[in-house]
Amino acid sequence: MAKKKNEKSTNQILVELFMTQIGAITNVIDEQGEKIFVTDNLLSSDEIKDYSLEFMELLVNVLHAGDTINRRGMEYKALRRFFTEFSNQIQVRGGSLEEFIRYIQFLQKVFLEGLEADIKLSFDESRALLLLVAGIFNDISLDVFNVYLEEKEKTIQAQQDEIKQTSTPITEIWDGVLTLPIIGTLDSSRTVSVMENLLSRIEKDRARVVVMDITGVIAIDSQVSHHLIQMMRAIGLMGAKAILTGIRPEIARALTSLNINLGDVMTRSTLSEGLKEAFIYLGIKTCSADTKIS
Amino acid sequence: MLRGMHLTAIGDSSMLLEPGDSLDPSDPDNYIAELMEVMQREGARTLMYDLEKVPLIDQIYYAWLVRLNALCHLANVELIVVNIRTTAAFSLAMGLKEPPPFKCSLDVDSARQGIIVSL
Repeated sequence: MAKKKNEKSTNQILVELFMTQIGAITNVIDEQGEKIFVTDNLLSSDEIKDYSLEFMELLVNVLHAGDTINRRGMEYKALRRFFTEFSNQIQVRGGSLEEFIRYIQFLQKVFLEGLEADIKLSFDESRALLLLVAGIFNDISLDVFNVYLEEKEKTIQAQQDEIKQTSTPITEIWDGVLTLPIIGTLDSSRTVSVMENLLSRIEKDRARVVVMDITGVIAIDSQVSHHLIQMMRAIGLMGAKAILTGIRPEIARALTSLNINLGDVMTRSTLSEGLKEAFIYLGIKTCSADTKIS
Repeated sequence: MLRGMHLTAIGDSSMLLEPGDSLDPSDPDNYIAELMEVMQREGARTLMYDLEKVPLIDQIYYAWLVRLNALCHLANVELIVVNIRTTAAFSLAMGLKEPPPFKCSLDVDSARQGIIVSL
């Protein structure tokens, strides 16, 4: 049904309502911002004022952009971007999602209370305004939640990467000799990442021997042993010799009970034995400083 | 010159095989006889197969290498694959059920110095 010429759009009604109460709304928002963010030292009073002002401006821009809210419009995107950046800053400074959502809910409440206060509005107008305000703040809450999830995922990923890196440090212990102590459990994804790193290091350092120490491997099953064999084969295919060290009695018992054949794999009891074997393989002789060289 | 590959005598009864783009590993019969002839003529004892330009070794390529190794065995030649790329080593190791029958070395220099791995 076509709208009458003099009939105001929901956006216009909200703008007018907003303009008549802007002073009060700003004060309330500032006050609540102070309570939530300044108390916890997340933002300063000046920052709160700046954010409130920017929010008001962006909201007015959205409402002025047309008779209805254009969710794909630049103004609406700018408003959502403002909140994602704002929430990002709160997170960076150690704030929680709960605090920020509480703040957004408060903003929504302030607007809704503003509507209730205006008795001139008809039921239909109030309903339309209510839906409009709820829609805007729902979108904002969803964006903030997504930002929070993304940040959490990034943090978890970074921590996982760090754990992976530190739990399998590949060290060139001698020219052409790499050591790889494996600690914990070797699952498929870790095997892939260790193998990628190891093969790249063999290529980069022109390594000829790799000593893999599994003293830190707590338990072994058929899958883990299969991964070990894959790693040893990949090392061999690169042209480097693989030496497996640190097989503890429990691990040896598990390997024999699993019928895993490590017949093709060179094994030594300890890392130092493995290193000696590497030296023999490379034709390196070590002697004490006192020994006379003939 | 053999089709699909470069075969060069590099001294010490060794030959270097560099596969070309036109090599078809799915049809080993095309190359086997000719290759045997060249190796016997040159008195080769070692054949170094350079995998530097082979980014991935699939089942067909692996079967070709196994077949080539069998040929070398018949000709009393040792097959050593060299310069395998990390991507190829990775994918091959993931797919292998048995250790490969051929020997491997990091590069030609390592192979000539006798640093050869038998898996």
